[in-house]
Amino acid sequence: MLAASTTTLPVFLALSACAGPNPLAGPPPLSADVRGLFDAVTEEQNLIWIYKRTMASYSAMAPALGALLAEHQAHLTQLRAMIVEPPGKTVPSTVTRKPAVPAAPATAVAQLRTAEQSAGTAQLRRLGRAAAPLAQLYASIAASEATHVTTLTALAAGSHG
Amino acid sequence: MSATPTPTSRPVQPIAALQTALAAEHAAVYGYGVAGALLTGGDQATALADWRSHEEARDTLEAMIVKLGATPVAASGAYTLPFAVTDARSARRLAAALEDGVTRAYLGVVAVSDTTVRTFGALAMQTPAKRAAAWRGSTIAFPGMGGSPPPISPRPGMTSP
Repeated sequence: MLAASTTTLPVFLALSACAGPNPLAGPPPLSADVRGLFDAVTEEQNLIWIYKRTMASYSAMAPALGALLAEHQAHLTQLRAMIVEPPGKTVPSTVTRKPAVPAAPATAVAQLRTAEQSAGTAQLRRLGRAAAPLAQLYASIAASEATHVTTLTALAAGSHG
Repeated sequence: MSATPTPTSRPVQPIAALQTALAAEHAAVYGYGVAGALLTGGDQATALADWRSHEEARDTLEAMIVKLGATPVAASGAYTLPFAVTDARSARRLAAALEDGVTRAYLGVVAVSDTTVRTFGALAMQTPAKRAAAWRGSTIAFPGMGGSPPPISPRPGMTSP
């Protein structure tokens, strides 16, 4: 069985591998795993922001969107739990993309769908250079985002009517 | 409700991971035969389409395993279901469980170090994750994770005809 709790598998790889770091040269560069985690955290924060804005604009869709939002919040929590902050670096907490919420509900849902697709693609791009436990987390989140795309497609079809 | 992520920290060999996925596909092919017999109308048509998709996935995995120089694991002649399947409701529940099992198996493939195989696993798990959500009627935050036992297992002493 391929199982081990993530709570026992934090990514301690805060620093890139290097022989004999020079203590006077400042903090070493971040490892690929930590850079990938930082990017993934930012991606989830962006998604959460756009979901909240869309739900605020279209309260009728809030129940359906709220379930997906809760899953993104779970993704963010899990991604953050994988990081031990390296010296001089903090886990990103800012939203880097703040698109306007479209005036039509169907278009707003389409924007969410596009954001989910983009996030899922980004998760898959991180797979190759990630350690196995992280790769599985990215793959699972990407699969979750794929299910969201299907849900949003159905919601968009309903919002046309 | 989201499952607790439980990725692996151990190195995984491609052939072993692909064999596990193939075993899950065999189980799904068998299980849909049970579920489909209890479903009607649109649900039965969906089950039939899903059953065919699992047959195709099985064939793909068998070809990959042969290409890697191994003998694909055979299907069992019969399987033990995780619960009594006696009506349409339990049949839909079984279909969701089958898809969860296949999703979990493909997530195991993501743990291998070979990037091509890893990406294959990540992409392959998205379709069963979507089908599981459709049968269940809701999405989950971490498809494939959670460490649950396989939903359907070969019955001891039974071999494929």
